Amino acid sequence: MITVTLACCLAIVSVISIFVGVIDLDIPSLLSGDMEQLEILLISRLPRLLAILCTGVGMSVAGLIMQQLCMNKFVSPTTGATISSAQFGILLALLFMPSSTIWGRAAFAFVTATLGTWIFVWFIQRIQFKDTVMVPLVGIMFGNVINGITNYFAYKYEMTQALSTWLVGHFSMVLRGRYELVYLVVPLVILAFAFANHFNIVGMGKDFSKNLGVHYNFVLFMGLTIAALITASVVVVVGSISYIGLIVPNLVAMFKGDKIRGTLVDTALFGALFVLVCDVIGRVVIAPYELPIELIVGILGSLLFIGLLIYRLNHGRKAVQLSGMRRRDAVNGEARR
Amino acid sequence: MFVKELTKKYDGKTVVDGVSFEIPKGKVTSLIGPNGAGKSTVMGMISRLIARDSGLVDFEHQDISKWKSKELAKRLAILTQQNNVQMKLTVRELVSFGRFPYSGNHLTQEDEDVIDRAIAYMELQEFEDRFIDELSGGQRQRAYIAMVIAQDTEFILLDEPTNNLDIYHATNMMKIVRRLCDELGKTVILVLHEINYAAFYSDYICAFADGKIAKFGTVEEVINKETLSAIYHVEFEIMQIQGKPLSIYY
Amino acid sequence: MNKTMVRRSNRNKFIIMAVLVVLAAVAYMTVGVRFGNEKLVRYAMKIRTPKLIVMLITAFAIGGASIVFQSIINNRIVTPCLLGMNALYTLIHTIVYFFAGAASIFVRNANAAFVMDLVLMGVVATVIYSYLFKKTKHNVLYVLLIGTVLTSFFSSIQTTLTRVMDPNEYDTLLATLVASFSNINSEIIVLSVIVLAIVIFVLRRELALLDVLTLGKDQAINLGVDYDKCIRRLLLGVTLCIAVATAMVGPISFLGLIIANLARQLFKTYRHSELIAGSTLFGMIVLVAGQLIVEQVFSYTIPISVFISLGGGIYFLYLLLTNRRV
Repeated sequence: MITVTLACCLAIVSVISIFVGVIDLDIPSLLSGDMEQLEILLISRLPRLLAILCTGVGMSVAGLIMQQLCMNKFVSPTTGATISSAQFGILLALLFMPSSTIWGRAAFAFVTATLGTWIFVWFIQRIQFKDTVMVPLVGIMFGNVINGITNYFAYKYEMTQALSTWLVGHFSMVLRGRYELVYLVVPLVILAFAFANHFNIVGMGKDFSKNLGVHYNFVLFMGLTIAALITASVVVVVGSISYIGLIVPNLVAMFKGDKIRGTLVDTALFGALFVLVCDVIGRVVIAPYELPIELIVGILGSLLFIGLLIYRLNHGRKAVQLSGMRRRDAVNGEARR
Repeated sequence: MFVKELTKKYDGKTVVDGVSFEIPKGKVTSLIGPNGAGKSTVMGMISRLIARDSGLVDFEHQDISKWKSKELAKRLAILTQQNNVQMKLTVRELVSFGRFPYSGNHLTQEDEDVIDRAIAYMELQEFEDRFIDELSGGQRQRAYIAMVIAQDTEFILLDEPTNNLDIYHATNMMKIVRRLCDELGKTVILVLHEINYAAFYSDYICAFADGKIAKFGTVEEVINKETLSAIYHVEFEIMQIQGKPLSIYY
Repeated sequence: MNKTMVRRSNRNKFIIMAVLVVLAAVAYMTVGVRFGNEKLVRYAMKIRTPKLIVMLITAFAIGGASIVFQSIINNRIVTPCLLGMNALYTLIHTIVYFFAGAASIFVRNANAAFVMDLVLMGVVATVIYSYLFKKTKHNVLYVLLIGTVLTSFFSSIQTTLTRVMDPNEYDTLLATLVASFSNINSEIIVLSVIVLAIVIFVLRRELALLDVLTLGKDQAINLGVDYDKCIRRLLLGVTLCIAVATAMVGPISFLGLIIANLARQLFKTYRHSELIAGSTLFGMIVLVAGQLIVEQVFSYTIPISVFISLGGGIYFLYLLLTNRRV
């Protein structure tokens, strides 16, 4: 039921989004074969729509995978150092292969994003956390470290300006021929869907998965790699987009629970819808100019996330179990043992 | 000290439901009961660590929330299980904190004497200058008890003092509790998980079930087959050892 | 180790560090100055003295705030810079520019701008963080996480504002926002010292409770501390200290983490008076020596904040791996 509603909303907003822009498109002229209008549609509007959908689906699915694997509701490409690692990769590409194409940069970003995420997870698995909230905090600090390295090189080789394109995500540069890389998200999401149950089992812990005959380390790192690749493809094409991987899976889980198979499709649809709505807002607010998507998501997303946090804190038992809650209950009293 | 109609809810679920009892002065009283029966929450409420939803906690003819926190700290001490100090703190420095309600950060000679006595009482002299985080669980627990002794309160509340201790240290802890009462004349209230420690070392037992008091009375009144079976829902046998009723469950 | 020995060795460490600070300060004031020419000397002093003072104040504000903050949270790997103060400051500064316009007194007079920023910052921070405290039932870790989220919230709004701003105004704004120790107004120094002094005076009682607070919430209440109120007030003090530091030199996120932990490692003590002093001294050494290197070796190409986040980052990872429990 939710799935159908989401799909319908997505379809409607998609159509609306095609007709929002500096140059007005109208259906009669499109149908009558107006070449100029068709060209705008095919070169600019349609690629943009597709890129948005891929971004939304990709980032939210990447977040969902990471949350499942790390058993922590606050882990995401933003809070797991994936995005900053991808940015670092782009910087390396610009440094060592100044003439590289988008695919060359993507290759660098793939490698660094994957490595960064692996290292982050390796770190958090070695540390005993007193509170689940510490995990995203460590992740954010970890991301800051990588940003620090990136900044160092950027200053040293005077590339801060060149790099800034990838710091604030935006869709305005999405045109035919420059964005196709983002389609990589599609096979990756399908792969994620195929392994959904494995991720679920691995999320239950090492012993649990061993008991069920699932190869823990392999599935864990494969899942992380998929999430990192998805994130890197998005970052290379549109730049950094935070929070989607964090909020969308959490919102969906509030309604549908934590079984990944059941929530994957809804998470993907809702993620796409969320990004699309944010994009339309960004295009309308100061038309004829547009605001980068990252800013809209940054404002809406952070407010939503804070609301979510406080809701969870105050309705711990009724909402989907959040491991952080267990500690609060423990502090409060009886659930100690 | 007595409580009346004490109630606490978490997220709409009543954890403590209309609990009333009076704590006998100068005695050891143990709160027992299954997990989730509400004993630790009651302990939290009578020690002002947890806010209550309704009811009354009367301490020396005044509601506990009306006491000035600092004054109360001279009359009533609470020791919970969560004592993970990350600081580099020696045993003596920890025990010195017991004098904080009296003298703040500036210790007088009298305070130093009280601290010396507390350390000696818990036989911690040789560890005095060791850091807390270098001690074993049993030693650390003793250091905290020494702090509570230095706090020099009439009432001492201990939330599961035997938790995470092995049999040797747990039994020693219970003997210390007994001495606090017998030798120093303290009123001790404990939350205990282990029924037989409660039976052997306390004067009174308050048994909880489902947020209510199932039975309050002397050890003999509570530790018997019918009462325990009703509370824990398993079979019990009672034996007499050294004149105390001990229970076996299976 | 014996307690008196610890005391004595701590005193020695303090002396050594103080000497190091003085050495760094002297080196900073003299290296590269041509002493033959009196005019050049005077010029160099005029430029460098305010910078040096600002660095010392910043070290105190950040060092003290970080120690207090870590003790409140009972966690050594966090820094108050995660609370979102930096971004809030930038946002407020931008808003003042945006609505007052480049011609107004708040833009032309650095003092007025500073006061305006601080007042607004104090009010907004108090309102937001008090509200958060109430909402999260004094769960400081959640406040911290929300703080990190607020960082991106504030900076998103700020960037949005700059995009709709008049480009000329944006240029002047940028000049005042870019963090650096250069072009310091000496009257701002006086103002910030006053603000810091007021914060310390108002919080003198709570600061005395810090040692007890580190025993944890339950123990602090047991010993008669009004825990929630105390934490709230201290946190607001931390906020203001960070605000002052940010207003003077811009965001330096890892500095607090480094110096607070170095101080804890070196002075194995729980006494906050010593910890705060130690972390301040470390801060002074790091900032002054760092700035010296930035100016003399890298001739200003790489800002000091980049070095600090790089070094701080590596130190942070080291802390994570050695502590194992956070």
